[in-house]
Amino acid sequence: MTTFLPWGPQSLAAIAPEIVLAVTGSVIVLLEAFAPAARRWFATLSLAAIAGYLYFLLRAPIGATFDARLDTSVLTEAVGLFLGATAAVAILAAKPYLERTGEEKGEFYALLLWGHLGVSLMTRGLDLLVVFIGLETLSLSFYVLAAFFRSVEASSEAGMKYFLTGAFGSAFTLYGIVLLFGKSGSVRIAALAHPGLAGDPLVVLALLLLLVGFGFKMSLAPFHAWAPDVYQGMPTPAVAYLSVAPKGASLLVLYRVLAAIFQDGMPDRFRAGVAALAILSMTLGNVVALAQRDVKRLLAYSGIAHMGYVTIALAVFGSDSLAAVLVYFFAYLVSNAGAFAAVSAFYRDETRPHPIGLLAGEGRRSPFRAAAFTLCLLSLAGVPATAGFIGKFFVFKAAIERGLYALAIIGVVNSLISIGYYLKIVYLMYMREAVEPEGPPPLAIADRLALSLCVVGILVLGIFPAPLWDLARRAAETLPFASP
Amino acid sequence: MQDLLQNHLLTVVVFLPTAGAAALLLFPESARQAAKWFAFAVSLLDLAVSIPLWTRFDVSAAGFQFTEKVRWIPSVGVSYALGIDGISLLLILLTTLLTPVSLLFSVTHVEKSVRAFSIAFLVLETGMLGSLAALDLALFYVFWEVMLVPMYFIIGIWGGAKRIYAAMKFFLFTMAGSLLMFLAILYLAVRHREATGTWSFLLADLTRLDFSASTQALLFFAFALAFAIKVPVFPLHTWLPDAHTEAPTAGSIILAGVLLKLGIYGYLRFALPLFPDAAMRYAPWLGVLGVIGVVYGAMVAYAQKDMKRLVAYSSVSHLGLVVVGVGAFTTTALSGSILQMVNHGLSTGALFLLVGVLYERRHTREIEAYGGIAGIVPVTTALFLVATLSSIGLPGLNGFVGEFLVLVGTWTSPHRWWSVVAATGVILSAIYMLSLVQRVFWNPLVHEENRKLTEIRWSELVAAGVLVVLMVWIGVRPNDVLSRLGPSVEAVRASVTQRTAQARALRAVGAGLVPARDDEAPVTTGGGQPQGPPLRHQGPTQASARSLRAVGAGLDPARVTGTTMRTAGVQSAGGGR
Repeated sequence: MTTFLPWGPQSLAAIAPEIVLAVTGSVIVLLEAFAPAARRWFATLSLAAIAGYLYFLLRAPIGATFDARLDTSVLTEAVGLFLGATAAVAILAAKPYLERTGEEKGEFYALLLWGHLGVSLMTRGLDLLVVFIGLETLSLSFYVLAAFFRSVEASSEAGMKYFLTGAFGSAFTLYGIVLLFGKSGSVRIAALAHPGLAGDPLVVLALLLLLVGFGFKMSLAPFHAWAPDVYQGMPTPAVAYLSVAPKGASLLVLYRVLAAIFQDGMPDRFRAGVAALAILSMTLGNVVALAQRDVKRLLAYSGIAHMGYVTIALAVFGSDSLAAVLVYFFAYLVSNAGAFAAVSAFYRDETRPHPIGLLAGEGRRSPFRAAAFTLCLLSLAGVPATAGFIGKFFVFKAAIERGLYALAIIGVVNSLISIGYYLKIVYLMYMREAVEPEGPPPLAIADRLALSLCVVGILVLGIFPAPLWDLARRAAETLPFASP
Repeated sequence: MQDLLQNHLLTVVVFLPTAGAAALLLFPESARQAAKWFAFAVSLLDLAVSIPLWTRFDVSAAGFQFTEKVRWIPSVGVSYALGIDGISLLLILLTTLLTPVSLLFSVTHVEKSVRAFSIAFLVLETGMLGSLAALDLALFYVFWEVMLVPMYFIIGIWGGAKRIYAAMKFFLFTMAGSLLMFLAILYLAVRHREATGTWSFLLADLTRLDFSASTQALLFFAFALAFAIKVPVFPLHTWLPDAHTEAPTAGSIILAGVLLKLGIYGYLRFALPLFPDAAMRYAPWLGVLGVIGVVYGAMVAYAQKDMKRLVAYSSVSHLGLVVVGVGAFTTTALSGSILQMVNHGLSTGALFLLVGVLYERRHTREIEAYGGIAGIVPVTTALFLVATLSSIGLPGLNGFVGEFLVLVGTWTSPHRWWSVVAATGVILSAIYMLSLVQRVFWNPLVHEENRKLTEIRWSELVAAGVLVVLMVWIGVRPNDVLSRLGPSVEAVRASVTQRTAQARALRAVGAGLVPARDDEAPVTTGGGQPQGPPLRHQGPTQASARSLRAVGAGLDPARVTGTTMRTAGVQSAGGGR
């Protein structure tokens, strides 16, 4: 008989990464209150926390701990690298951003670290309650981050909207978990691997509820409506994190649950539903993005479209498709977090809208930022020799292997549409004269670092993808997929 | 270093420009002249490095040479495989030649963001050379798409008044074509995996796959569309005049000189050997579109008031002729087509360059704005005249050889009337080009500002002069080029005709003897298995069915296998493995 929380050196080592995050976040808040002079070290401290997080995560012994509730595997290590890198880019971009706005408060970093803790728990939870606690930790942190500029109307609106829709989404998730608990008698994901469960209508209903709940977090159409408004009002570096990491974590949770339930592969009707979501998300995201005038809204719709592309992989289902999803998210991290880092570095007045017209002429005025932003956009568009192409390559390959030709064709047609708005930004930066006499703020070292990280990532993953693909494959093999 | 040049010559040629571009990043933005000359020097060095490809090329061998192969993404079978045959050799040299020519011209004429221009140009060169050397379909696709980005910037930043529209149209048209090709490439690799159990994107491996007629047709269309847009074949040509007219002179030279040829090259290198049945079935349509392009392009060219647009439409017409030769598919016509691609690169490159020379002095491309300037700029006039004569196919210059071969080769094909109609294109080209020369250089001088026109600069003279020398060389000694082309053309033709003929004969006769099979079932390459692992899980029944059909065809099975071995030999040589 095991006790409720079996502590021991093993489990301490397993949870150490999250402890580092929690403690550093708390220390930052305390320093903010009692030693405000330490503010300029907060970013460094947060980066150190991320480094510690990765260090302990990679050192943690492989295997499940806490009575098989917390997973440590190649999969969580690979996902941890992805999450840690996203957080690092966000923190680097946040430092100069907060300095410029005069709001360099400890709360920002603390909330970011705590949110990161939540995401990490989501990806490591083998127990639906652990996953849910992770989800809520993430959500609560980011509800506050969305309303970070209390006095700014758009920011308060973003916080409110995110809170209401997020609570709604969490309710769906919780209902789904409850139904699964009712049918399987356990909240363990492993307990779902029960032969009779896959065909049960209540279980299918539970899965649909989970799909809706995590679809909210992924900003998958038709559950996307919050994303553009929230991105617009939230501090841009926080968006760089929110638009990447929780989406990957949500999809991973879906994979974990579905892999347990669908022992004989995904049923065709369920697949058709997932495929419909993918098509809707890609098409709606791309078409609406064409009409956007605000760069953060444009990137929000681009993100909705990208969630459509990865959902193609979910429709394919299976080990290789999860590997494709992992590669896709690494690519999405360097391109999308990079794009938001560039936006954060470009706009002077953070509390006002970000019209794309302001970017006109920046190709000559701020060549490094413009070039990095361009590379991120090309990668998002999936131009070869960038990371984005590699992500699409593996997703479409998986779709064709499974015989989902229609999805693949709709996917590439959507890539073509997306070029219209990505190139619009490139065109403004390079082929128009500047309209704003003032120009963007001077480029801080931290911004330069964040952008360089993404540029290098885009090119290295785009040109030498083999190591990442091998890692992703080894990671994906840890989930018990039915052999096709 | 020695080893690099000895064993990895193609890699050096392909990536030297990118290395130069990376070095350019270190230049300060203010070092304008230095950046220009450095880029020119890099492209010149690349030309020098590429010369051994010509001298060390084994004229008698049909397969790929200078091959290199490294695994790139091993677990999905993507390799970094390079190699060239006579066809790619010529186009690679054309590329390494036209890039320094364009950059030399730009030294005096590009003033805006010089460093970025040089970087874009060098990256573009790598894209073009890589597409011409790649023997792995995934690698080819990467290079093929990489070309788009620098060209988009070259048109969009340094182009004319409507450059934004032209750049966007260029990007979207080309991307639209190639995305379907991307899916088709993935499909081929997946099918190869199903058939053999291993992943591969190598051309040599994928050509051994066989598909049912309908699948083959779909895949062929996916490839052919990408290439037809690039050429461009008649109804898909609308992006070309815009892109050409708005691009800066250097961009136009490269666009006409190399980028358009990549469409034909891709068709010959990939679409034909991968889908021989479909390619042969639809070749007549291609030829007809080519014929339409010849006449349509010529007639529209005659109606133009803008010099650059006129030359752009003449490109539509000339490439129409190349397409006719490819559609006719006789050895002579094919050789002529490939030679004509090089000729068109030289003559149209020179024409764009000289139009650029005039434009930089008068800042107008209106034909009406000139007239009577032959006496004022005699050297420019002479060069323009030679380029014109080359373009319209005067014997003694290169254009004649290519056009003659295409027309003769088409005449001996089943589609004799194409030759008849296409020949009118040759006459029409004389009309519009000579009338252009007449109106620009000879008519009475009515615009006083033309009196102050300055003569061609030495850098422009060198750039144009090189092209003119090559026009004469190919015109007088066409065999220097054709001899390198012959075996490769023969190999392309043989691999296609033998495969289709055998497959058809066996299918036709076999239908009566052997119970009809599922359409998806393989029609194996020429009846026998080519060397290498079996592509499908063929039980003894299928094997015996095959020999039955072979007997039914009145063929000794051994003989069938014999011919197959030859085909396989060509193919494996073609794969450079």
